[in-house]
Amino acid sequence: MKKIVFNLSCLFIILLSGCESIDTLQDDPNRVASVTPDLLLTDIEIEAVKNIGTGAGLASRQLTNTDGVSNEQYYNWQRSSFDNYHKLKQVQKMEEEADRYEEEVYKSLAKFFYSYYIVETTLVFGDVPYSEALKIGEGIQKPKYDTQKDIFLRVLEDLAQANELLAESDGVIKGDVIYRGDKLKWRKLINSYTLKVLMDLSNKVGDSDLKIKERFQTLISNPAQYPVFENLEDSAFLEFVDSKGNQYPYFNNNALQTAYYMEESFVDKLVLLKDTRLFRFAAMKNKREDEELTNFKNYGGLKGSNSMNENSQKAVDGEASRVNARYYTDPVNEPGVLLSYWSLQFNLAEAAERGWISGSAETYYNQGIESSFKFLKVDMPADYLSQDVVKLNATDNLERIMTQKHIASFMNSGWQSFYDNRRTGFPKFNVDGSGILNQGRIPKRWMYPAAETVNNNKNLSDAVNRQFEGGDTINSVMWLLKP
Amino acid sequence: MKNTIVFVLVLLCYGLGFAQIKRTGVVKDAATGEPLIGVTITLTGTTYGTMTDIDGGFVIEAEDGQILELSYIGYTTQQLKIGTQTNFAVNMLETSSGLDEVVITALGIKKEKQALGYAVQDLSGKALEKVKESNAVSSLTGKVAGLNIKNSSDLFQNPEISLRGASPLIVIDGIPDRTADIWRVNSDDIENISVLKGATASALYGSVGRSGAIMITTKKGKEGKLTVSFNNSTMFQTSFLRKPERQTVYGNGNQGVYAYIDGTGGGTEGGGWIWGPRLDQKDPSTASGYFETPQYNSEIDPATGKLIPLPFISRGKNNVENFFRTGVIQANNVAVDWGNDKASYRVSISNQYQKGIVPNTDLNNTSFSIGGQLTPTDKLRISANYTYNKQFTDNFPEVGYGPTNYLYNLLLWTGTDVDIRDLKNYWMPGKEGVQQRHYNISYYNNPYFQAFEYMRGYDKNNSFGNYNLEYEFYDGISFKSTGGINYYGLNRTYKEPKSYIGYGDKSRGNYTVMNENFFDITTDFGIKVNKELTDLLQLSGEVAYSRYRRNWNKLTSATDGLNIPGFYNLDNNAGPSIISSNREEKEGINSFYGFVDLSYDSTYYLSLTARNDKVSTLPKGNNSFFYPSIASSVVISNLVRMPQWIDFAKVRGSWARVSEGRIGENPYSHIQGYEKGITWDGVPSAYFGNSLLSSDLKPETSDTWEVGAYVRFFKNRLGIDLTYYQTNDFNNLIYMPVSSATGYENTLVNGDRFKRKGFELVLDFTPVRNEVWEWVSTVNMSKYNKYLTELSNDRTQTDKYIKEGERTDGIYISQYQTDGQGNIVFENGYPVVDPYSRFIGYEDPDWTFGWTNTINYKDFSLSFTLDGRIGGVMFSQTNQKMWWGGVDPGTVNQYRDDANEGKATYIASGVKVVSGELRYDSNGNIVFDNRVFAPNDVPVNYNSYMQTTSNNSEKNYHYYKQDFIKLRDIALTYQLKPSVLSRTPFSSLSVSLIGSNLWMASKIKNVDPDSGKDALQTPTMKSIGFNINAKF
Repeated sequence: MKKIVFNLSCLFIILLSGCESIDTLQDDPNRVASVTPDLLLTDIEIEAVKNIGTGAGLASRQLTNTDGVSNEQYYNWQRSSFDNYHKLKQVQKMEEEADRYEEEVYKSLAKFFYSYYIVETTLVFGDVPYSEALKIGEGIQKPKYDTQKDIFLRVLEDLAQANELLAESDGVIKGDVIYRGDKLKWRKLINSYTLKVLMDLSNKVGDSDLKIKERFQTLISNPAQYPVFENLEDSAFLEFVDSKGNQYPYFNNNALQTAYYMEESFVDKLVLLKDTRLFRFAAMKNKREDEELTNFKNYGGLKGSNSMNENSQKAVDGEASRVNARYYTDPVNEPGVLLSYWSLQFNLAEAAERGWISGSAETYYNQGIESSFKFLKVDMPADYLSQDVVKLNATDNLERIMTQKHIASFMNSGWQSFYDNRRTGFPKFNVDGSGILNQGRIPKRWMYPAAETVNNNKNLSDAVNRQFEGGDTINSVMWLLKP
Repeated sequence: MKNTIVFVLVLLCYGLGFAQIKRTGVVKDAATGEPLIGVTITLTGTTYGTMTDIDGGFVIEAEDGQILELSYIGYTTQQLKIGTQTNFAVNMLETSSGLDEVVITALGIKKEKQALGYAVQDLSGKALEKVKESNAVSSLTGKVAGLNIKNSSDLFQNPEISLRGASPLIVIDGIPDRTADIWRVNSDDIENISVLKGATASALYGSVGRSGAIMITTKKGKEGKLTVSFNNSTMFQTSFLRKPERQTVYGNGNQGVYAYIDGTGGGTEGGGWIWGPRLDQKDPSTASGYFETPQYNSEIDPATGKLIPLPFISRGKNNVENFFRTGVIQANNVAVDWGNDKASYRVSISNQYQKGIVPNTDLNNTSFSIGGQLTPTDKLRISANYTYNKQFTDNFPEVGYGPTNYLYNLLLWTGTDVDIRDLKNYWMPGKEGVQQRHYNISYYNNPYFQAFEYMRGYDKNNSFGNYNLEYEFYDGISFKSTGGINYYGLNRTYKEPKSYIGYGDKSRGNYTVMNENFFDITTDFGIKVNKELTDLLQLSGEVAYSRYRRNWNKLTSATDGLNIPGFYNLDNNAGPSIISSNREEKEGINSFYGFVDLSYDSTYYLSLTARNDKVSTLPKGNNSFFYPSIASSVVISNLVRMPQWIDFAKVRGSWARVSEGRIGENPYSHIQGYEKGITWDGVPSAYFGNSLLSSDLKPETSDTWEVGAYVRFFKNRLGIDLTYYQTNDFNNLIYMPVSSATGYENTLVNGDRFKRKGFELVLDFTPVRNEVWEWVSTVNMSKYNKYLTELSNDRTQTDKYIKEGERTDGIYISQYQTDGQGNIVFENGYPVVDPYSRFIGYEDPDWTFGWTNTINYKDFSLSFTLDGRIGGVMFSQTNQKMWWGGVDPGTVNQYRDDANEGKATYIASGVKVVSGELRYDSNGNIVFDNRVFAPNDVPVNYNSYMQTTSNNSEKNYHYYKQDFIKLRDIALTYQLKPSVLSRTPFSSLSVSLIGSNLWMASKIKNVDPDSGKDALQTPTMKSIGFNINAKF
């Protein structure tokens, strides 16, 4: 009897899995422990171009929102996040896997993306962890904060190396959804991006370690060694695709079609410049003169700093334009922009204007404007550049360059316009409306993430205390902005 | 099988021939000869019974061969087989303990209640017979101290079950159900539910039994003649117990303006807000006499091509009532029971049908089960059960806040200018199949469109069974083996029509198919000993080997848009490829376990258990662990002479250590790997997750001790059962947050310590008992809290801002700045947000309570349960959104009228800063504050203010007290006398009026706090109906 029972039990066991031992159940059939670096590159590139956001549009006085008192629009935001470190970790993983699979070429791209993401992070906060960041494998759970200057010095070094390594490399880049493996274009991007970083540091032109001017000149004067964007097609774009998860991020977005309106000063500026890009950015307002898309009088906006009541009232009265329907109805709309040819041209124009380089500011400026029109698929009116309100006139050239950069950045290029305003005072953002918060000040930065107060308190406190007298506030001024 | 059924039917016909004969008798105390009053006498296999009168006498009608069961608290239950005699004299023996109640403990072992060293509470299947909740486990609400069941009002949604603050194991006939499918056991098949409250009680189940267990024992065939029983409960959900109450004074729109354009929501359509113009405004200039504006159902003027304005009147005041329909819960069960001294079995067929209050939604739950036991010799006992269960529906509602929620579309985001009945034609004319018709087609769904076109199918086939075998091969020593399988196949489909609205998504039509297969098997075998060592000392024990294996896989495939609208097939995919994913899991546990139970003189009891598990869900080397438990009880009343009013007293104590080797739901949580990322234009990607795993993970472990006492007073009229327990959780597998700058959000490590402690009280009393009246009442109360006792890795607080020594259920949220005196600080009329999270309250209730009652009067019986919770706060999304969107009745005021005229008149109560500033350190402590305040005097537009703040400043950020008391169930039963039944084929027949959720009082408005959270759930319905229970 006993034997029969024993056999019966074993029968049940065999039914299941042939008496599989515990140890053989220890492998995860759903995931892999190692991947080739190209799989990570794809992820890193997609993340890098995810910089289209209405928040920047609100803070840069391009858009307004009527759904509530927006923190960006009324300048009383608080904290931002350290999400970029997760992206930096993917870069680190790409580097590790490049080593494992002996694909050196990905390591030069890693240098670029390290730089890209850490610059994006330090511009938000000021000092942030870098030299000790991503070192949990070495036991560092609480990385110290590096000074902004040290971070930029390393970034400039890494970018130079990336350009060099890539020039020498004969590796093949796979998984590249931006340039499809074109290494020359990557070098153009890296060098154009270096120029952007140098321009972000314009207030530090006197710093003897950074040598901004010298670096800028070196890059410009040696195109064979430091190729840069030569036309719009060289820009780092990511084309959207009409399949799930690949669509334009605001495709189907409800808020964009109901709660967001064009900003008044932005529309006024475009009208003043008779800038036909307006018709591509905005929809006609409800209360309009006629049905002519090209009639400037059919467009209007809400003033960013005006109170929400005034703006809502004006919106329901049909006095404001929404954004052009393509932003929420076209699944591919326009490409995402990591770095554009026009922004390079505007940076060069600014450098020329500042006397860092010898070229003609006007040439760069005009090329920037033309390429923006081209990107937007708008025919530039023949007389556009020659208008008095457009062309450089030596009195307010910097403002004009920034204005054109601002216009060209509508719904692309992340927070660049906001940073330009912070750095140069241009373009000007209105704060005189009755709804303004933060005592009428435009914030200079974001507070550090709340989680850092819990998980890295000592290093955070050190960093705050050495940088800001008034503590971790949005109005504190970071190193980069101090002359 | 076929033959068996024929045999059953033959027997059935034969059985009908018996006659009811009146039997009389007297029941006396065997020792004293005193007549016993109120002895319960039932005919086994029926629900019919009676009680002895003041002289101990009784009269009952019974057939020859039936069995009478006599039970009386404090006396040994007796059974009498009726021959042909009509008169009985029965002597009942007082039990030495005063208690011979038997409860079912771990592994299905029956134990005397007085032998238990830990808390167990059980509930007879009878209690589940009449009033039907949607599932059997929900019926336990309020009936077990320490078991907190938070019921959802949504159709086919699991309640949240917590036992002493953790999620218990569900065990069906001794076999753990790790799928925790509480829907698959029909309540009519349940003989008994026994709740093992602590780890000591369930330690023998190993790591899965760490948080106690709910043990469901199903009915087996009983000895006696063939019985066919039929039970039907039908309940109608006719009215609302709790639904959100809304304003019907203002309609759709924003800033007092509304004019329909094309339904996209922009411009004069007001962005989907319900902050529109006043409804029913008189306007003598229009044809209707009311203010008129273009609306979604306006016709187009052929002359101008423009929409013809319609009167803006409050037509939809009863939208909620008009949309929801009467729901029905109907449960039917037919069971056949037969047995003799060698074999018995039971066959049961059940169906529970639920018609949802949302049109076109329902749920069918059908079970077929067969069970029986064989005792071919005195030495061998074999029992087995098998159940097939099918749960299916073509459509059940989506839940959670958002455009996929019915109340969202019906109440929260539709002004009463829309009459829901006008939306029954839900396709836009000329765009049938492509575009739904609604007043707003960007943000919201037409509820009828949702109900009839967005179909969520569910078809689950459960199959589970077990066997139990014992063979006594030597005097008192048996071989035993138990085993069980659980299998399910689940097929879910989602048919999403074109123009269906999700958050930020207007569907291009989609079809999703999801298939899941689950199989697990548990096999135990071992040796069992049951010996009387001496006259006084008894030993029982067991050693066994157990093996568990689980396989699970899931495949999901979805279209990326549909080509042909309304054709739901993967081949109809419009995108470049089908979006597909699959997942496979395997898991195994090998265990040894054993226990020894000793009892001495029915007074001292000691129980020891031990178990070792080797699991596949932890890294090799750390995946084998041992845990013991010890429990003891002493019957004091046997040792010490008690005052006369104390009948029985017992104290108990226990300690257990239980470890758990599984990290969350995923059996591979201890393995680090890359995740699949998005595929961009055909190019695949991968990324590394945000958790870093420690290479040295140990199982997490809990040590629990509990003490308790059980005392009975006043001739068993009052009983008190008290328990206090404490659990220390250590080696916890926690996702410990680290600085994000490490590249990770957290690392998985063993760390932190928690202490859980609580108190449970079960009080039963019989205020009235005489020959006609009996009132039996039970009160359950419990309290539970969890504390953080140690934080590892030099942290000062958790990511939820909990510090050492504090309760872990503290809620910290973003709040407004205050002046230090509790006044909120405003800038430009709007509140200023404090950049640091602050404490708002504790989530767990202070007390959970339940009160069950049964009142018997002659052939009538009334039973009801009241239960509820005291203390604890919850966030109410419904209340918050009602203020935000403009539908809360509190928004009807002069400020709103002013705002609609463009005037800013609302001044929120608080202060503004005149000068000075406030500084924090990096922990959020104020380090500098020289602010000077003045009362806030900046008027703002009321509509804009509410759209920005949701009235958070006045409504405690919409955190509300959870306190409530509910009349959970009530049943009034009439049991027909056998004298009446003798002329019918019935051996027993009762009819009941039943109801559930008939009354509630709560602190929170608009929502039922029962579920403990508010994600805009379906209104809670009152259910009333009837039950018929018949036996042949």
